[in-house]
Formats: sequence, C-alpha cells, structure tokens
Amino acid sequence: MRDRVRTMAAEASSTSSIQGLRTLLFWQMKFHPRAFVAGILISFVPAVAGLALLGVAGWFITATALAGVAAVAMNVFTPSAVIRGLALARTGGRYGERLITHDATFRFLTDLRCRIFSAQAQSAGDGRVWRSAGLLGRLTSDIAALDGVYLRLAVPTVIAVFVGLGVAVFSFWQTPVVALGPFLALISTATVATVLVRRRRTKFARRQEVAQEALRVRTVDLVAGRRDLAVYGGLAVRADAILQADKRLQEAEAVLNGKTATAVAVAGFGAQAAVAFTLGLACWQVAQGLLSLPMATAVLLLVLGLPDVLNGVASGYARIGTISRAANRAVAGTARAAKSAALMKDPKRPAVRAPSPQGTPVLAFRHVTFRYPGAERAVLADVSLDVQPGEWLCIVGPSGCGKTTVSALASGLLSADDGEVLLNGSPVDLIAEGALRSRITVIGQRPALFHDTIAANLRIANPDASEADLWQALQAASLDERIARQDTGLETILGEGGLGLSGGEQRRLGLARAYLTRPDLFILDEMTEGLDHDTAQLVLQRFAAFRGDAAVLMIAHKSVDIDWAHRTFDLSQL
Amino acid sequence: MHKALPTEPEGLAATRAQNRKGSSDPVDVKTTGEPLLPTERKALRRAGHILSFADILWIAQAAIVAALVSAFVPAALTDAPSAFDEPGIMIIVAAAGGFFALAFLRLRLTLRSQKMALKAAQSVKSRLRGKLLDAFSATSPAAHLPASGEIAAHMGEQIDAVGPYLSNFFPQKVRLSIVPLAILIAMGCISWLAALILLMTGPIIPVFMALIGLRAKSASLAQQHELTRMSGMVMDRLRGLETLRLFGAVESSRQEIEAVGTQFRKGTMKVLRIAFLSSTVLELFSALGIAFIAVFVGFSLLGDVSTGIWVGELTFGAGLFLLLLAPEFYAPLRAYAAAYHERSSGLAALESLQGLDQRLCGAAEVTPHSGKGRTTGGQTVSFAGSGLSIEMEDVSVRLGGHPVLEQTCDTIVAGEKVLLVGQSGAGKTTLIDLLLGFHRPESGRVLVGGLDLETLDKDWWRGHVAWLGQAPVLAHGSLRSNLLVARPNASEAEVLAALDLAGARALVARLPRGLDTRIGENGFGLSIGEQRRVALARAALRRDALLILADEPTAGLDRETADLVIDGLLSLARDKTLLIATHDEALLARNFRQIKMRSGTTKAPEDISA
Repeated sequence: MRDRVRTMAAEASSTSSIQGLRTLLFWQMKFHPRAFVAGILISFVPAVAGLALLGVAGWFITATALAGVAAVAMNVFTPSAVIRGLALARTGGRYGERLITHDATFRFLTDLRCRIFSAQAQSAGDGRVWRSAGLLGRLTSDIAALDGVYLRLAVPTVIAVFVGLGVAVFSFWQTPVVALGPFLALISTATVATVLVRRRRTKFARRQEVAQEALRVRTVDLVAGRRDLAVYGGLAVRADAILQADKRLQEAEAVLNGKTATAVAVAGFGAQAAVAFTLGLACWQVAQGLLSLPMATAVLLLVLGLPDVLNGVASGYARIGTISRAANRAVAGTARAAKSAALMKDPKRPAVRAPSPQGTPVLAFRHVTFRYPGAERAVLADVSLDVQPGEWLCIVGPSGCGKTTVSALASGLLSADDGEVLLNGSPVDLIAEGALRSRITVIGQRPALFHDTIAANLRIANPDASEADLWQALQAASLDERIARQDTGLETILGEGGLGLSGGEQRRLGLARAYLTRPDLFILDEMTEGLDHDTAQLVLQRFAAFRGDAAVLMIAHKSVDIDWAHRTFDLSQL
Repeated sequence: MHKALPTEPEGLAATRAQNRKGSSDPVDVKTTGEPLLPTERKALRRAGHILSFADILWIAQAAIVAALVSAFVPAALTDAPSAFDEPGIMIIVAAAGGFFALAFLRLRLTLRSQKMALKAAQSVKSRLRGKLLDAFSATSPAAHLPASGEIAAHMGEQIDAVGPYLSNFFPQKVRLSIVPLAILIAMGCISWLAALILLMTGPIIPVFMALIGLRAKSASLAQQHELTRMSGMVMDRLRGLETLRLFGAVESSRQEIEAVGTQFRKGTMKVLRIAFLSSTVLELFSALGIAFIAVFVGFSLLGDVSTGIWVGELTFGAGLFLLLLAPEFYAPLRAYAAAYHERSSGLAALESLQGLDQRLCGAAEVTPHSGKGRTTGGQTVSFAGSGLSIEMEDVSVRLGGHPVLEQTCDTIVAGEKVLLVGQSGAGKTTLIDLLLGFHRPESGRVLVGGLDLETLDKDWWRGHVAWLGQAPVLAHGSLRSNLLVARPNASEAEVLAALDLAGARALVARLPRGLDTRIGENGFGLSIGEQRRVALARAALRRDALLILADEPTAGLDRETADLVIDGLLSLARDKTLLIATHDEALLARNFRQIKMRSGTTKAPEDISA
C-alpha cells in the first residue's frame, strides 16, 4: 500500500519542474482573465506612486534649496500638491491592489478545489490511490499554499520588471550613465531570483514534507498503539523515532529558512550596492555638468525606493520549491479528471437499456480477467457469470479469492483487463456514470457518513426524495424511532464520521440511504459482517422485502446470508 | 483513519482559545507557560539588537549621501560645469565606497541576526516536542487521552506555528522598540518639527490599527472557524468519495463544495477589507509623514518657513538627511504589522499546547502512580515453572473518582484457564490493565507467583505477559517488524510457527509481499479479524510468557474467524495461565472457571453494533 502512495507522490512531484506553476498561472489567467490583468495593473499604482513620491520629494527639496539660496521665485504649490497626491495614491492603490489580487486568487482557488474534488471522484474506489489522512491533509494544505503562485510570484515579478525598467529608462533619459544604477538593482534581484529557481532545492522541501509526515504518523502510532507498545516493548524506541523525525525536520527547515533569509538579505544588499553605485555615478555626472542636481537627487531617491518593489520577488522566489511542489501535486490531482471527463462526455456512450424480460441477464461477466497493478498474478482469471433479472446470486470463496474485486468490477469502480462486464447487455465501462449509478446500488460493511444533517446524508442517494420518502426509508431500516426522538429530527447534524450514532445505528442509516434508490441490481458486499446471527437475519429479511424484483449480487461467507441466495457461485472452484 | 484529522470540536477549541486571549489582552510569552529558557530569550533579544543595529547604520549611510550631494550645491548655483576636482573624484569614490561598506556590514549583521533567531526558535521547538513526549510517557497507557490525530497535530503543526513567532516576530518587536526611537533622536537633533511630525504620525498608527484591528479580530475569528469548517467539509467529502461516487452524488457534492468555497471567499474578503484597512492606515501615515517632511524641508529651504529647527536655518544637507531618514522610521512599524499574525498563531499554539499538557497531566492523575511509562525500577526475578499463580487480595481501583473494582478477591492457580464475564463497564478491562501494571490498586494487593506486583519492574513484568487486546494496533511498517517487536531475535521458523498457531499463515501468503508487506494507518490493508490474528501471532512469539491476557478477543468477528482465534489462544496457553474477558457464547460454553464481575456502573450493551 505504501508503494501506491509512493507511486502517486512520485507521479505528482518526482520532477522538480516548475511546470505545475506555469500550468496553474495559465489556468488562473484563463479562469478570469479580466481579474488576472486588473490585479496586475492596479498593483502598479502603489508601486509607481510610492517611488514617484520619493523622487518628486527629492527633486523638490533640492530645487527649493537652490532657489532659496539664489533667492529665485519658484512655484512650490504644484510640487507639494503632487507630493500629497502621490501619498494618497500610494495608500489607496495599495488597498485596491490587495483587495483585487486576493479576491482574484480566492476565486481561482475555489474553482481549483472543485476541480481536484471532481478529479479525485473519477478514480474513487478503484483501489489505486490510498487516501490516508495525511495525503488528504496535504491536498487541502496544498491548495492553501497555492495562493502564493499569483500573489507572491506572478504579480511581484511583473511589477518588479516593469517598474525597475521604468526607473532605469527614466534615469537613462536624464543621462545614460546613471541608468547603470537602477539597472544594477534590477540585475541583482533577477540574479537572486534565477539562482533561487535554478537551485530551488526541492530536495529539502521534500525532506521537510517527509519529516513532517513521519512526525505525524509516528505520533499517531505511538499514541494509538501505546498499550501494545507498553506490553510488547518499544515505547522508548518509538519516542526516540519521533525525536529523530524532529531532528530531520529541523535540519531541512534550517536549510530552507537559511536560504530564504540569505536570499532576502542578499537582494537587499544588491539594492543598497545599486544605491552606492548610483550615488557615485550621479555625483560624477553632476560634477561634469551632465545632470542637474535636483534630478540627481530624484534618481538617487528613486533607486533608494526600489527595494520596496524588488524585495517581494526575493521573498516570494525563496519559497518556490515548496510552492512548485504543491502546484505539481495539485495539477497532477486534476489531470486525471480531464481524461475521465473527456471519456464521460463521449456522445457514443449508449444509454443503459431497461432490463428486458427476454432473458438478458442484468449483470454478466464474460471471461473477465483482472490483475491489480503491480501484483504478480491476476486476482480473477477468465471469470464468467450471469445474474438474471430478479435473481439473488451469492459469490462465495475463501478470503482473498477476489470476491470484493468482483463487486468493484460489477459496480464499474474497476475496469477489467480482459473480457467484458455487461449491465443489461451494455458494457459497464461505456455506460455514462450517472446512468450507471442509478442502476446499481452498493451496500457495504461500513457506510461513509458525512458531517451534515441526517436528511442530507440520506439525500446523497436521491436528491429528490421527499421528507415522507426519507421517513419511509428510515422505517425500513428501523431507525425511524431513534431519529424521531431527536428534537431536530431529520435536521440533526451528524458528527464527523457519523459521531453521535452508535455503530449499529450508523449501519442502519447506511441501509436507509440504500433504500432510497430503485436500482436494477443491488450489490451487497459483506453487508452483515460483524452482526450477530439474529440481527443479520432481521437485516436480510427487511432487505428481501424491500428489493422487489431487483437482482442481487451478494458477497458473503456466512450461512445466514448464503441461505437467502437462489444460487451460489464459488470463485475458488475456477 | 479520520482520527488523524483535526476535528470540528478542535477547531472550535482553537477559536475559543483565541477568544479567551482576546479578552485578557496582552498575553506575552511570560504568561503562557514560559516556553523560553533564559538563554533562548537572550539569544532572541540579541538577534533583535543586532537587527536594530543594522538599521541604525542607515543613519550613517544617510549622512554620507546628504553630505556628498549637498557638496555640489555651490557648484550647481554657479550653473557652470565645475572643475572636476571641486569636491574631487576621490571624495565621490570614498563616499560611495563608505556607503557600500556600511551596506555590506548591514548584510552580515542581518544574516547573523536571522540565523541566531532561527536557531533559537528551532531549539525551542525541539524542546517543546521533547516535553510533550515526556508528558505523554508519564501517563498510563490505560489513561483516557485525546485522539491520536489531535496529539499528532500538536506534535506537528502546532509546535511549528511557534517557530515564526519566535524567529521573526520576536526580533521585530525588539527592533520596533529601538529603531524608530533612534531615528527620532537623529532627526530631532536637527529639527524638532520634523521629529514632531514623526511623533504625531508614528504613535498614532498603533492606535488606529488597534481600533480597526479590534473589528477585524472578531470577524477573523469567525472566519478562522469558517476555514476549519470548510477544510473539514472538503476532507469529509473526500474521505467518503467512494460512497458519493456509488450513489452518483459527486456532482451535487462538487456544487456544495463550490458554494461553501464561495461563501468562504466572501467572508474572507469581508475580513480582509477591514484587515487591509489597518495596513492602509499604516501606509497612509507613513506616506503622509514622508510628504510632510518633504514639504516642510522644501518650504524651509525656500525661507517660507523659518521655524522648526533649533538654531539658524535648515541647510540642504540637513534637509536631505531628514528626508532620507523618514521612511526608515516607518519601516519597523510595517515589518511589525506584517509579522503580527505570526504572534497570534504562535500564542494560540502555545496556549493549546499548554492545554494538552494539562490534559496529559490530568490523565496521569486519574491513574495515580501508574507505571511511569518508560521508567524502570523494582525487582526482577526468575519464576520457576511455566504457569503463574495470581492472587488478588481485597483489590480496589478507582478511575476518574469512580470505584471500578471494589475489594476484589480471587486466586487463580498456575496454569488455570479463567473467563472474566460481566456486563460492559463491570471492570473486566480494568482488571486486565491492573495485571499489566497500567493501574495501581488504591488498596489491597496483587500477587503474581507469590510476589507483590507493585515491587516488580514493570517493563520486565510486561515482558513476561502475552496480551491480546480488543483492538490491537499495528504500527506503520512491515508485517514482520510488527511481529518481531514481541521477540526481536525470533528466527524465520519461529515466526512461521507463530503464524500457524494464529491461523494467519494463509493470510500472510496472499499478501503481495508476504511478511514484508507494509501495513498502513490503523492496520490498513487488513480487516479487523486479520489484524487480530496478526496480533495473536505476535502474542504467540512471546513463548516464554507466563501469563496470557485476552480482552474480548472475538468481539466483532464472524464465527469462523472467532473459532480460529480461540483455538490459537488455547494452544498458545496450553501450559500457561490464561485469563480471557469475554461475552462469546462459544467460549462461555467451554468448561472454564468463570469470574463474574459485578457491574459498578451498568451500561446497556449496544444492540447490533460491532
């Protein structure tokens, strides 16, 4: 199982490429082009206004100094009004920039979350992806980290390049030599950014993630297994393993944090070096009479203000390793959806035919072979079976002979490697998902319940069910009295994982949910597992009464279940 | 599986923690359990001082710039290209070089300060993890603890959240207390009016920010809760994805997630509109401060304003110096405001860690004196024979203030097979925990092989017990490593024999890599019955065990598997003392002596649940 996790992780992030970043940026641009561009455009306002404020102020005081000494009259009101105006523009611009860029990003992330959800749904239950709590947690935190793609990388880069070039061009226009100063600031920032991209050390970002996961898993093991460890030894060893994980985490973080600190400090130093350079060049040009003193001061102050614009680049790019890993995973998480969605929209897919009385089996396996990826031998080899309309077939066989695989193939969660699985005569793989789901209902051992109202949990099976339908289903599962006792009735909210209901009640709620469907085929996957004989018998009786003329494919190994079937099919006899 | 996730109540607790903090205003590190050692505190302060010193060097840099530029004023007035050596090319180079050298010094200082702060923060984090582990180790394994996922979240993210608070916010706080003051003094030396402008705008900023921040705070708390809710909901739906797919409800769930996401975005933007206002106020005042300084300097130089300085008239050099210093007055304020959220999350994490610590200590109190986890002590002896007698003399155990066992007396002779029966809550598990040394009797004593259990080394004693729990927990790792914990030097043949005994050989044979198959979270990949058989094999590896304890070994198993487990247990316990707590009819039908536990607190047994 660990291998599957590895495969998925590798698939998502083995390449330390920044392809994921590019893809996400492209998606965000396509998702809402106007907001994307507007965010960048408005970001220019505070950047330009802030720099202009310094530049005009520098020019202004130098000009007034010269005018004051020479006792020349000078229009002071325009410049001072401009200075105050720029101060306000910088403030307002900053506010607008933040609101617009954040709103655009959050809109996109909401969409991305949905895309990933749909993508994951396409492959749910095919056994290929192991959804551990850690992996799911990673996915949600990835999405949160991706706000950096636009806010910390794209916008600051565009602003830095254009504003930096703008200052350089302005200086060049004054006197070409001075332009070397702002150019140096731009080059040093670009160098830092390039170095950060080139040596983005996803190695350490990966180590950090691995250590974080180890820390979590080992703590869970230690706490959940404390009795076992106390008896069988190893409490101290496990505790030390946690400290080991902490040590590795600290080592990785020391590198990553040190890199960030160095990048930001070096970029800052580059900007200061540019100021020193500009100072020397400007004074030299003034001494040569090629540049007026007020303009020299203005250029100097513009260069001094550049770090405000450039610093965001260094701090953003320092996190590029972490962000690009998250981006690669998020893109990998959605890629699957695109493929499956394309398949599902295929117009050639036939609508499923209603069960025909003239002997077409509801479910048919034709020489089906299936092998799990990476497994040495096939679980199912050349299996053929039929379930006729109204028939109740029980699949029997020892553990591990592939009973559950039959169920997953029949419900279309897995696709056969060879042979055909037919539902009402049509290949299951070709039936549109929606149509397929309305024809088959699977009842498993442990129902997944959601942190939502009881009504919402039931309506997953049938969104159009009326309240009366819900009560009827609850009654069929003998849960109606329990729910009626609640003050809030159907609107009672279940805790995470169905908390608040006992294990038995949760299973009955799962049954009630299944009773809201009217499929052609029920698949019972060890439905009564873990129930005592009498309860199992009761559950089966109610089910038999409910199923009407729907066919049943049952997976079971206890006689209480098998006795209900019309026919058994022994997988081990093949 | 979902245990490992932060649950809704936890999110609420975090929000409540923040609320509490809001009411008891300035919570500093001091009031939250003192996570810092004096040396670490000193290191962080020092980091702040170095950072401040680097900033103060700017005053010298500004002086260099102002002096050099103002040297050109006379030449500029004559309006003629001055002789090249007027201030002299050497002076230009020297000034630029000096500026550069100071910049380099600032780089070194900044780096040093950051490395120092990061190192201190890391040492605090490691220490907090060690402390949490110690607190955990001090509790009895039988104590009721928070969910493993919650403790893991504390061990991971919560402690991580303390990092930026210490490594970034703390030095920024020190910087804020030094740098603006230094700039103010430097400017005040030249012009009292310029200093006054800064003084008017500077200290007002926190007031405005606080006013706006108060409103933002309540909104952001609600939003924090909303975020927890949304993440929880997405996780919840992702976890049940297979069910959603099987019922064709994927699309409706996607729409639901989109709706919640949109609602969250709107809520967040509402909070941000207010939160950004506070940084906008900062922005406004710093921009206006710079603008006022520029206008004041300009008008003074023109001679239109003749007040604001101590003596004489304002020179251009002095004016430029003031203008260059002004932005640096506001820079620490902006950095402080930007790092403020690190303070909030860091303090919230510290507080919740302290809460967990108290809960762990509380759990330790529930089971007083219970074997101090890893600590050893007490005697080790070698028992003769293969079985072991157990005598309980008037044993009473209290859990959480309630008596669970009251003056229980019984003698189990060596090699006897005994069933513990009684309703749930009657104390069956407590008795087994008592024999494992997880609880200590309040009164009375337990003799094993004639020796008082209290006097035995607990780790040594547990090494002579084979135990099969109701929900055995297998750790991440290979099946083999899970088995070998019971007997690290067991040979392959011994492992296979143990598997045979537990009826688990076929089960292992069908796993993709046999014994080297890795098991995931909560024994992922194995059913409950399989996990229990693996656990039985683990128990069987402990061949020199003298006592075998089994707690509801067949609960929730189908008959076939249950019989397999019973047969394995009995053959394992052939010549040993065996104690089984059970409801199982098949076991009760066997001809074993039964100890009927009287229920202290009667709980209705669950109807059809496993």
